[in-house]
Order: sequence, then C-alpha cells, then structure tokens
Amino acid sequence: MFIKQTKVWLILTIALSLLALASACSKPEGGKGEPTPTTGGTAYTPTGKEGSVTGAIAYTGTPPAPKKIDTSADPACGSKNPNLSTEDNVVTNGKLANVFVYIKDGSTADGKKIAEFTFATPSTPVILDQNGCHYRPHVLGAMVNQDIQITNSDPTTHNIHFTPKNNPDWNQSQPNGAPPLMHKLTRSEVLVPVKCNQHPWMKAYVGVLKHPFFAVSAEDGSYTIKGVPPGTYTVIAWHEGGATGAEKPMTVTVPANGTAKADFSFGEAAAAAGRPSLEMMPALEFPMLGRH
Amino acid sequence: MNRGVHRFALLVAGATFFLIIAGALVTSHDAGLATSDWPLTEGRFLPKVESLGIRTGVNMVGNLFWEHGHRMVATAVGLLTIGLVVFLFVKEPRQWVRRLGVVALVGVVAQGLLGGLTVKLNLPLVVSAAHATLAQLFFCTTVSLAVFTSPSWIKERPVIEEQRSLPLRYLCVAAATAIFLQLIIGATLRHSATWDQPLPTDLLLTHLGGAIAVTLLLGSVALVILRRHPGDSFLTRPAKVALSLLLLQLFLGIAAYITRVASPNDPQPLNPMVGITVAHVACGALVFATTIVLTLRAFKVLRSSASSFEFATAER
Repeated sequence: MFIKQTKVWLILTIALSLLALASACSKPEGGKGEPTPTTGGTAYTPTGKEGSVTGAIAYTGTPPAPKKIDTSADPACGSKNPNLSTEDNVVTNGKLANVFVYIKDGSTADGKKIAEFTFATPSTPVILDQNGCHYRPHVLGAMVNQDIQITNSDPTTHNIHFTPKNNPDWNQSQPNGAPPLMHKLTRSEVLVPVKCNQHPWMKAYVGVLKHPFFAVSAEDGSYTIKGVPPGTYTVIAWHEGGATGAEKPMTVTVPANGTAKADFSFGEAAAAAGRPSLEMMPALEFPMLGRH
Repeated sequence: MNRGVHRFALLVAGATFFLIIAGALVTSHDAGLATSDWPLTEGRFLPKVESLGIRTGVNMVGNLFWEHGHRMVATAVGLLTIGLVVFLFVKEPRQWVRRLGVVALVGVVAQGLLGGLTVKLNLPLVVSAAHATLAQLFFCTTVSLAVFTSPSWIKERPVIEEQRSLPLRYLCVAAATAIFLQLIIGATLRHSATWDQPLPTDLLLTHLGGAIAVTLLLGSVALVILRRHPGDSFLTRPAKVALSLLLLQLFLGIAAYITRVASPNDPQPLNPMVGITVAHVACGALVFATTIVLTLRAFKVLRSSASSFEFATAER
C-alpha cells in the first residue's frame, strides 16, 4: 500500500512540476495588446499651425492626508528621506499634481484620424530616478519604443519592476552605484505601474503612447500638451487610485495656432472611484471594520 | 527501529514547517522579486554581518530580508533532506520508507527549481501556485516520514474491525483530498493578487466553498472517530488536534480576509495583515499534515471485516 502511495506522490510531484514548466514556457511574450507598428500609417509632418491643449487639474473637497511610510526595514531610506509619505494625492492650494493627461483619439481639422499618423520616437530618454526611496517623477509619459533611463540615487539596492498588462513584465535589480538601466515599452498602455519589490511603498506610473500628445500636471495642477495638430480630440485625465485609477474624458477642439482649454476636477468622486468597486470587491463585507 | 532517524525526520519536518512560514512571509510582503537574481542574490549567498567580519554579503534590508532569508532556510531544508535520506539508507531497514525518503529529496529539488523558475519568469501565477502547493506536499512527505519512523507506528497494534457501511478510512482520504484541493485554491488566491490589489471574487468564493467542504468532511471524520473509538488515543489524538486546528484555521481565515480586504489602501504591507495571513497559511499546512497523520493511522489500525484477524505490524 505504501509503495503504491509513494508512487502516487512521486507522480503528483512530477506532474505538478511539468505543469508549471509547460505553463511557464507557453507564456506569451507580451500581453493582449496589439503590437505597435513601427512602420505603416502616414508619418506626421508639422504644418506650422499646431496648437496646444492646456488646463489645470483641481481637487475638490478635502484630500486624504498622506500616509507616513515606515522605512524601518531599510535604514538607508529613513536616513535619506525621513518624511517619506504616500504620493497618491499631491494637492497644493486645491490643485492636483501627477495627473496624466493625454489625447486618446480624435481627428485633425482635415478629417484624418490621429491614430492614422505615425510620430517619430524621441531619441532622448525619459528619466526615472529612485531618490529617497521614492520615484522621481511619480508619473511620467513616454512614447512607444522610447528609452526610459532608470537611475538609482539612493545608498541602497532597488529593484525596478514594470508590471504592465499589454507589455512584457520586466524586473531588474539595481544596487547603489550601479550604472543606469535602460528599458523601453513596445506597446501603448495607459498606464504601466512600476514598483520596487524591495521597498513595497515605491510606486510610479508610466503612460506609453504612440504619439507625443501627453503631459503630467505639475504641483500647481497645470499642464500643457504642445504641438497638437488642429482638430477635435478626446482628452483624458488619469489619476491613480483603486485598481486601475480614475479617468475623466473631455472633448476639445484645437484651433490652428491656438490653445484649447481643458480643466479637470478630481476629488470626492475620484476618491469614491479609488475605493475598490463592487465588481472587484469580494461578496462579503464587514462594514464596521472597513476603512472609509 | 532507530530513534535517531525518527528524531532527524522530526527535525526535517519542523524545518519544513518553518520554511513554509518563511515562504508565506515572502508572498505577503510581495518580496518574491526583491532581487532579479537566482539562486544567488547579487552574486552572493551569505548575508552581510559586519560583526562577524562578513562585509561583502547580501545586505538583508527591506524585502531582501524575506526573500533571501527564504532562500537560506530553503537551502538548509534541502541539506537536511539529503542528510535524512542518507540516514534512512544507513539505518532504515524498510525499503519503502527509504523510497519515500528519495521522494522527499526529489520533491525538495523540484521545489527549489520551481522557486527559481518563478523568480526568473517574474512570478507567473501557475508557477507560483505550484511552488506553494508543492511546499505543502513536501511538508506532508516529511511528516509522513516522521510518522513511519515513530515508535507509535512501529509498535504492534490490534486491528479494529470496521462494520459500518461508510469506512472511516475513506472518509479520512476524502477529507485529506478536500484539504489538498483547498490548499491549491488558497495558493492560487494568494498569488493572484499582491497586497495592494483586490482579491479576485471568484477565487475567494471558491476558497470559501472549499472551507465549508473541508469543515464538513474533517469535522465528520473527527466526530466519528471520537464517537466510535473514544478510548484509542492513536486515533483520537490526531482527530482532536485536527479539529482544534480546523477551528483555529476558520478563525484565521476570517481574520485574514478582513485585514486583506483593507490592505490595498495601506501604504505598504502592514504587520496585522502579514501576520494573520501567514498564520492562516501555516495553520492550513498543519491541518493538512494532521489529517495525513490521521489518515495513515486509520489505514494502519482499521480494516474491513474480512481482514479483522490481522495484526497491524511494522511491516505494513
């Protein structure tokens, strides 16, 4: 009986290992997104009539107070950045920073879809620095295939971990003093979460688009998207929170050599969206112990 | 019988239980990818301990403490398992016990490879869940080795005739199977969302359903044993332990759910969520191991009426 049992256990062990290996080996390179065409479409040629989209991001209501980060697990973080706290709602005088604003779709004044154009990828990288055990900047944008240069300015080891849905997962350790790492995302995705598994409070978000029409709100809530061809577009403002963040759409018309205004507001509604939705929440609830 | 082998098997089982706790701590802290290296961390294995003169080792700070610590404990368990197999081949006369030792060795090697695979592939769900499931199987193998080498197992015991239509032995197997399936669901649930993400509702409800099934099955097994064989501590002791652990596990499950639901709003994995969730994993392992012990013992002393004149001996 026990020899038989031994064989069963052995077979179970081997079967599990093979299953895991097979699954791992069959993992697709990317996700479910479409590959970004590096060729195809019409290359956009500036006409000199480009305008801009500008505005400010307001925060209505009282923003939640930043939460203090416990850095005791890594003294290097506490010594370099003793006041480390959460950055999901950076509000100054009612204005919200770190909101990613971008053109989602639309048409130029001559009726061509913006998605039909291709735009040259900048040769200069965008910088993502690990400094004081948090990411600087907290939210950034990059074009598809544009280099993202990752630096470590801290006296400790970080690991930089991109956790996209439409691009391959990427994780790389970066000890203090190590040279910058370069990474690029080959598919558009808004937004790619970045985290440090070494310091789990560290989070950043990278918006990756096929075109250069995006911006991130500054500390005063302002943003400007430059070089936009005249036309009518759907502009999205994205702010982190909850499982996938909160989005606000707006339709704008950019005049030739002019500016379209698009102000957005987050706050109470965004905070509500920031809590896990009913679809994501388990069926059981314990309201007396929940956090509100 | 060699008491040394039994004690060593107990040591390996205890170390494996500690390893399961270390692994659960890695998952709850989301530390599995704290380093992209494997099997070494930044090319090193020993931790940096300046007081001992080790200045070039792994700096065990942040989540590296959990991830690299897990690797060190796993290495120790691997070495202990090799030692146990050698011990068995030198001192253990029963061939099937020696073979089970080899199974344990294969299991710990496979487990190490799965651990490496999941790190190198950035924690795919299936590989991580398989790693967590195999950990439980390996733990039960070491517990079984401790049972088979124990004096209480080797001692001759009279066979008890089972005259009921539903043999207790098969109830035990059903309970152990249900617990194993529940462990797979639990492992998948844990690895399907990190601390800052909401748990998937379908898996959570499946896990809840599994908990009900396990409670009914294991509760029935324990109560039947306590009713049919009240004076036989060989059976009642593991039954009582299993029942107590089951109740504790249900309590820990509810507590883990409450803390885990709140954790996505926390700035980092906080100790209440980590502690209770890890305790839930550890208690689950103990429930499984105790049920395996109970099942093995039931098969040793319980027989259907046709074989009631046999004696349960060490050779079985």
